[in-house]
Parts: sequence; structure tokens; C-alpha cells
Amino acid sequence: MIALGVGLTAAVRASSEPMGLMVAAALLVVASLFGVSASNSGNRFTTGLAVAAAIPFVLGEGNSVDLAGAIGIYGIGLAAVWVLRLSRGEEHEELLSSLTRRLAGYIVYATVYSGMRVGVYAGLDGGWEDLLPFGVALSAWIVTEVLLRALIILGPRELSRTYLARALIHDLNVFVGLALTGALYGEMYPAIGWRALPIAALPYWFAHSAFRRFQKTRVTYKQTIRALARIPEVSGLGIDGHADRTTALASSIAKEIGLGPVEVEDVEYAGLMHDIGRVSLNEPQILRMGYTDDDIARWSAEIIGESPYLDRVADHVRDQYQPYRRPGEQSDPDISIVSRIVKVAAAYDWQVHDQGLSPLQAMENLHAGAAYEYDPQVVASVRRLLQTRGVLTAVPATAR
Amino acid sequence: MEWKPRRGWLGRFDRLGFAAQQKILIGAVYLLIGVSALIAAIVFSDAPNWLIWAPFTALFVILELFAVEVNDRMMQSSSLMVMMTAGVIFAIQPDSDAMFGMALMAVMGPFALDDFRERRIFQPLANVGQMVLAAASAGLLLDLLLGDIGVASQDTLLLVALASALAALSWTTVQTVMVRYAVKRVYGDENLEPWSQMHVLLTSEVGMGLVGGLIGAAYLIVSRSALLVLVIGVYAIGHMSLYAFSQLREAHLGSIKGFVKTLEAKDMYTRGHTERVAFFAQMIGDELAFTGTQLETVKWASLIHDLGKLAVPTELIRKRGRLDEEEYEEMKKHAHLVEEILAEVDFLQPMVYIASGHHSNYDGSGYGGQGHSEGRPPSLEASIVAVADSFDAMTSARSYRMALSQQYALGELRRHAGRQFHPDVVDAFEKALNKSGRSWGAPHVNDEEMARRLAEEPELTLRG
Repeated sequence: MIALGVGLTAAVRASSEPMGLMVAAALLVVASLFGVSASNSGNRFTTGLAVAAAIPFVLGEGNSVDLAGAIGIYGIGLAAVWVLRLSRGEEHEELLSSLTRRLAGYIVYATVYSGMRVGVYAGLDGGWEDLLPFGVALSAWIVTEVLLRALIILGPRELSRTYLARALIHDLNVFVGLALTGALYGEMYPAIGWRALPIAALPYWFAHSAFRRFQKTRVTYKQTIRALARIPEVSGLGIDGHADRTTALASSIAKEIGLGPVEVEDVEYAGLMHDIGRVSLNEPQILRMGYTDDDIARWSAEIIGESPYLDRVADHVRDQYQPYRRPGEQSDPDISIVSRIVKVAAAYDWQVHDQGLSPLQAMENLHAGAAYEYDPQVVASVRRLLQTRGVLTAVPATAR
Repeated sequence: MEWKPRRGWLGRFDRLGFAAQQKILIGAVYLLIGVSALIAAIVFSDAPNWLIWAPFTALFVILELFAVEVNDRMMQSSSLMVMMTAGVIFAIQPDSDAMFGMALMAVMGPFALDDFRERRIFQPLANVGQMVLAAASAGLLLDLLLGDIGVASQDTLLLVALASALAALSWTTVQTVMVRYAVKRVYGDENLEPWSQMHVLLTSEVGMGLVGGLIGAAYLIVSRSALLVLVIGVYAIGHMSLYAFSQLREAHLGSIKGFVKTLEAKDMYTRGHTERVAFFAQMIGDELAFTGTQLETVKWASLIHDLGKLAVPTELIRKRGRLDEEEYEEMKKHAHLVEEILAEVDFLQPMVYIASGHHSNYDGSGYGGQGHSEGRPPSLEASIVAVADSFDAMTSARSYRMALSQQYALGELRRHAGRQFHPDVVDAFEKALNKSGRSWGAPHVNDEEMARRLAEEPELTLRG
């Protein structure tokens, strides 16, 4: 509604032809249907961004830009996208916050661009003058979006603002790639008209398909690791579903306390692989000799140490049973936050699904061990998560 | 007259092996060709606009340094795109020619960091030769087709597209022919991709050339330098993603291999088994003229074919001699288990069915998961894995017997062809083994009885 209001108000004041504005808005909506999702950060970018970035170029002539027209198109387009995505059943609150951020970011972009263009147009020669307003405006756009993510709580409560902001920074390459494509089109449009579309689209198509391949492989890779993590469970050497549930909880904790997407991914792989060493338990000799939790952690680390890409979490897995701090000592800085998160998540899952404790009882045990066995920051995060999800009841799990 | 060993450099050359001598010869000849092409370009065509040439060449060199080989089916030809953009600009602009600019650009390209680190000389030299010639030929085509159009405009876009596609075609053809010749001379035939795979490479290269050419034309029409910066930006971002993709893809394969190693560590006698099965299966696939995708599928299927064994008790896997009925049933589970373990990996599903059918026989008997259906022969791919698996089992040592000879193993495969094994697959494998010139297994162990006795009384081997 806000977007539509802003859009219509701006469109009324625009100097360009209303028909052209509507066509551009329609193009924006269509372009918003095509996009790429970044699987590990939850960001989704559509070609709508490229169209939006191109609009101020197309509406500019000489040193003046039809700013109202640009914002009008974007507002109307955004309102349409909002209706479209609501009808697809997306969550209202989340959608609203992301679209508000977009509108604000875009208004900053268009305003800075048009302001800069007035200032520098006559100054440079040889075509470089278009890069300056664009570069500054794009930076302002990015800064606005990142700051809005970091400052305003208007989204799913389980994700920390720090995580949201870091997730955008992590995927800036796609954001910038799309914006550059828009600028490319905008640069060519005055000279060759519609023919600019296929030519600007070609390099983007290359970038797009590369990104898609990367994301697809990433999804496949995670599926494979998840599948391999199930081997001990399939062989009857582990608790059913333990690796999966531990990973889900650990990942939520990591996002809740504001780690970045790369660390969250580490937490996920470490969670999936934390018990893989149990495959060694079908070795009769090992069963005769006995083993400790630390042995399992060590075997797990040895197994994933053999795999490229996973080897980076081998150390986290090896340290997963180390206490947060020993009595009379400071907390051990060598034990990574990843290990500490996996430790707490695995302990919680083990208590609830193997020992049959209720979430509340498990939580109490975690609290009892906080600051010595478990990292208090991580335990507090588990409590917040469980409270948000409403699972902290006094009834034991077995009694239900 | 008696032949005397030559001295100095010539003597050192004589003492080198055949392959090394060929490398030096081809490197020298190719370099000569390249230098001649470059001189011809400098003499017969005009110098490019150096202000445009320099940044393009820098980008070209960077892209060549960080080249991404996506896989055998899709080569990353971004450097060609950059070169073609520059080439079209040089060809159309008055007072400059594409041939000069492109040939000189190509000289800078073919030095990868690894070549310096590993002190390779042959490859970069041969590459200089083939790239300069390829670039000069592409440039000449651009000059001929676009040299006279004067000013670029919207109406010439189609001609530019055609010219760049042709130039890219020429670039790829010259390079491929020269590379193939060099590989054939130095290594013999076995390392060559069949020509039937060429169309994939051609499509990608011609496509990239076309994109590059059109961007060059657009730059001339719009005449704004900002355009090139923007294109390079978009392109660099794409290249980064592709690089990340190729690394992750390697990691994916590596992780599976890592897990298989874990499996094999349980039993020293099966160490390396999976990798060898994958190797043999690819040999067979090559012989049957499989496409890149098919080969890839077979490779993955071979790598996961024994994954189910991770979930089978170790004592069964290691047991000497025959398994009893109950143990055999337990052991048979491993073919199903691979399906259960990998059920949620969409990408691997076709490979999983092949893997779960590798104990399925040609006459429809045997066992397995969904890859096996009673009374019907398994898929060709599953038959390939079955043959490769059995061959390696026979030609590698076990706790209770020595490795058998290649002749014996092939004889067994042939004896069971038509019942247990797919006859075409056995034929293809035999041909491929003969071609490879390598031999597997213990050379003189020609029957099972002897192999068992040798394992029990190792001193027999010493007595010969």
C-alpha cells in the first residue's frame, strides 16, 4: 500500500509520458519473476533489480532525470509484486519488511543518481561521467539496504539483524552484477533503443548461469553430505535423525546470535558430520576395547579431514566435546564458536530424543552446565529460540 | 662409419626419451609458426589503438591465468570473448587492424602460474604458437569482413554477429587441430577426446565469440567508455561464480572419494578398489563411444557402488572364505543400502540405480535394489560397473588368495559373458585393455588354486 501510494503520487508528478511509465512498471513486474536464490543466505535476487537500476538512465536526458517517474515506476511495480507474492502464500510480515527495505533503498539510489547527474554531467568527457553518479548511487543503495537490515527489526524473529545484514553483504556480487547489467542497458538505450536489451542481457546471462550452477551444486553438495551423515543411523550405530535435528538447531542458534553466512555454513557441516565417526563402531575390535566421546569426535574429524571443502570444519568437529571452560581457568579461546554451538545443540537433541527428557528439563540441564560445560551465550540463544517456538512446557516428552 | 654420441646440447637431446624429444621439437616448431604469424600480422596490418589494446590485454591475461575448466563438456572461454570485443573494435575503427592487435594479445596469454612453478617449458611455448596463429586467423577474418564498413551502426550488428561467429570458429578450429596434433605426437592416441565431442566445445566458443563481438560493436555505436567497464564488471562477477562453482564441484567429487577411502580403510585388500573400478568403467565407456555426460554418470556410479558396505558389519566384509546363508543375505543388503543412504540426493539418483544394480546379472538373475529387476538384464551402465568390479576383484589380492593374472580374469569374464556379464561390455573392455598396453594383476597366476596356494605358502613364489 505504501509502495502503491508513493508510486502513484510520484507518477502523477512525473514529467514522462504515463504510457511509457506503465510499460516500464509492467516490465519490472515481469522481470521480478526471474531470479536466483542464494541457498545458504536465503536471499533472492531477481532481474527486476536490473530493470530498476536501468530506469533512471532511461528516463534521463542531458543533465536532468525524471526522478518522480523513476520512483513512480518502482513503487507501482513493487505494489504489483507485493500482491503477486502474497497470493503465492508468502508470509505477510517478512514480505512487508523486505519490500519496505527495497523501496527505501531504491528511493535513495534514484535520488542520489539524479542529484549527481546534475552535478557532474558537464564535467567529464568520453563517457566516464556516467560511471560516477551510478557508482555513488549504487553504493548508497547498498549501504541503505544493509543499514536497514541491521537496524530495523521487522522480520522473522529467529534471525538476528546482524545475520540479515551480513547475508546481504555476502551476496553482494549478485546484487552488483544485476545493477551493472541495468546500467549497461541504460548506457546503450539512447543509442540503439530496444536492441540494447539482448546485448546487455548476454553478459548477464553468462553471470546468471554461472551463479545458478554454483547454487545448484551447493544444494547438491549439502544433500550429499546430509545423506552421508545418515550412514551411522542407517547402520543402527546412531540415534535416528540426530544429525539432521542437531544441524537444524545449531544452524538456528548460529543465525540467532548473529554469525555470518559462511560461519553458519560451517556450523551446518560440522553439525551434520559431528557423529560420522560412529561408522567405526561396527568394528568388533573397537567395541571390545571401548571408546569415549572424544574418540568419536577424533574419528569424525579424521574422516572429514580426507574431504576437500569439509576439511575446514574438521577442527570444529574434533573439539566438539571440549568444555567451554575448566574450573579456575578462563574460557579456552582455541575452542571455536562453531564447536560450542554444535556441542550444545547435540547435547539438547540427545537429551530430548534419546533420554526422553522434556525440552524444559533439557533446558534446565543446559543451564546447569552453562559457563562451565556449555557456552552461556549459546545456551541463552537456545532458550530464546525455544521460547519463540513455544516448546518450553513443563510436561515431560514421554508423558505426552 | 661408426656412430659417435653427440656432445653438448645435441648430446643431451639424444639422451632424452622419445616423448621429451617430441615435446621439444613440437614446442620449437609451434613457436616458429607463432612468431611467423605475429611478424606477418605486424608487417601486413595496422597497429591497434594502444589505449584500447592495453586494458583488454591485461584482462585477457588475467582471465587466462585464472582459467576455469568447468568440465570436459563445457570449456570456459571468457578470454575469447574479451579478445573478440577488442578485435571487432580494432577491425571497424579506421587506421587499425584486428590481426595485429589480436596476435599480439595472444602472445601474452598462455603463461599459467603452474607452468612457472613446475618449470614447464614445452606447454607454454606450444601454446604461444597455437594461440598466436589462431588469433591471427580470427583477426584476419574480422579485418576482411568488417574492415570496410566504416562506421558501426545498428544496421551492421548482424554483419558483426556473423563475422565474430566465423572468427571464433576459426580460432577454435586452429587451436584444436594444433593441440590434437601435438598430443598425438607426444603421447600417442590414448589421451584424445573423440572428435564427436567437438560440437559442444564449438557451441560454447562460438557463442562466446558472438557475445564478445556484439559488445565491441555496441561500444563503437554508443561510443562511451563506461560501457566497457560495466561489461567487464558483469563479466568478472560471472567468472567468479563460475570459479566457485568449479571448485565446489571438485569438492563434491572429493568428498565422495574421501568417504570411499574411509570405507576401504576397513580392509587393506580393497584399498583403491573403487578408484580402479571407476577407471576401468571409464575405459569401457570410452570404448563404447559414450558421451561426456554418460561417462560422468558411469564414473559417479562406480564411485558410489560400494557405499552401502559402510553400513555392513566389518567382520562380514573381511571374512575369509565363503559366507553362510544368513551372512550372505546380510551382505546382499549393501546393494539396497546405497539407495537408502543416497535417497535424498536428487543429482545422484540415476547413478544410484546403476550402483544398486551392479550385482544384477545379464540373464536376469542376481540381486540388487531398484537397479535390479528379476528376469531382465540390467542397464548397460550397471553391466559396465559389474564387469569393472569383477575384473578388479580378480586382479587384486585377497586375504585368502593372490592376485590373478589379467589373462585369467579376462577368460573368466568371457566364460560368463552372456550369462553373468553383458557380452558387448566384455568385448569393449578387452579391446580397451589391449589398446591401453597396461597389464593388471599378477602376470603368471593363471588359476584360482595356484593363487590360493601362493597366498598360504609365500615361499612358493620365491621358488618360482
